[in-house]
Amino acid sequence: MSDRNMEEKVEQASNSKNISLPMSRVRLIMKSSPDVSCINQDALFLTTKATELFVQHLALSSYKNGSGKGSNTLSYSDLARAAEESETFQFLTDILPKKILARDYLKSLEEMDKDDDNL
Amino acid sequence: MDGDSSTTDTTQLGITGEYMTGGTYVLQTQDDDGDESFNDHEDGNGSKDNFREQDIYLPIANVARIMKNAIPQTGKIAKDAKECVQECVSEFISFITSEASERCHQEKRKTINGEDILFAMSTLGFDMYVEPLKLYLQKFREAMKGEKGITPVTVSEGLGEELTDDTFTGQLPAGLITADGQQQNVMVYTTSYQQIPGVQQIQFS
Repeated sequence: MSDRNMEEKVEQASNSKNISLPMSRVRLIMKSSPDVSCINQDALFLTTKATELFVQHLALSSYKNGSGKGSNTLSYSDLARAAEESETFQFLTDILPKKILARDYLKSLEEMDKDDDNL
Repeated sequence: MDGDSSTTDTTQLGITGEYMTGGTYVLQTQDDDGDESFNDHEDGNGSKDNFREQDIYLPIANVARIMKNAIPQTGKIAKDAKECVQECVSEFISFITSEASERCHQEKRKTINGEDILFAMSTLGFDMYVEPLKLYLQKFREAMKGEKGITPVTVSEGLGEELTDDTFTGQLPAGLITADGQQQNVMVYTTSYQQIPGVQQIQFS
């Protein structure tokens, strides 16, 4: 049985068995980690399914935290807040930095320049 | 746009009205260049060489659908939140994979198996997923067996079919579109230049 045949069978099975993410793409992402050689089929399935659970978990947690403000829209800052406040999502803090208004950033840049001038 | 990504026009920067103090900051710019078309495709092809490793994402439509089904019916999701979760997902996969991979190495094994993944999740604070995942795995295995009695096989970088001498003695038919736009059937001779009666000759115009 060639690899390609195998992957097709896996995709067919996963289509009928409750997976809504492409396993081939998950595999690509896994293989981009250093030192990863072979990934067995169970591992690929588990990772894909876990990723679905993760998306649900992250979306719902963030949404619940945000809806206290009366908005029913899940926003970027809801996600950033979840990353900061939840231990489970701590690993996301590097890729979810908080945003700042451009004019405030530019103002702080100007102030830094002024300080340099005064030296 | 003049190619320089910096701008002082706040509308172009697309900054929202909220901001917070402390920590690192990022200025949100307009649409990213390059990788969006790949990330939106549903298929999984594309060699690693064509894009940076950190830009491999799952298709945003799939991710958005899962998010939508997770939150209450009346809820909405901002576009930048969808893109953000897309990135978080790749981060999650890498996070789990490197932990599992490390354990494999420590135990001198080359193939990451299901146990490694489950163990990694437990270690990294996702042990609430482990039990449900075991059930899903059971169902999946049953589904796989049901598909014409296949036994599970390691999905790895296997070798292609073995090439024997026989594969080179035949002639490979090929259809070519020639420079003037006409299609010709061409016989490609691989090992010998014998002219076989009844077979169309290669024509060079």
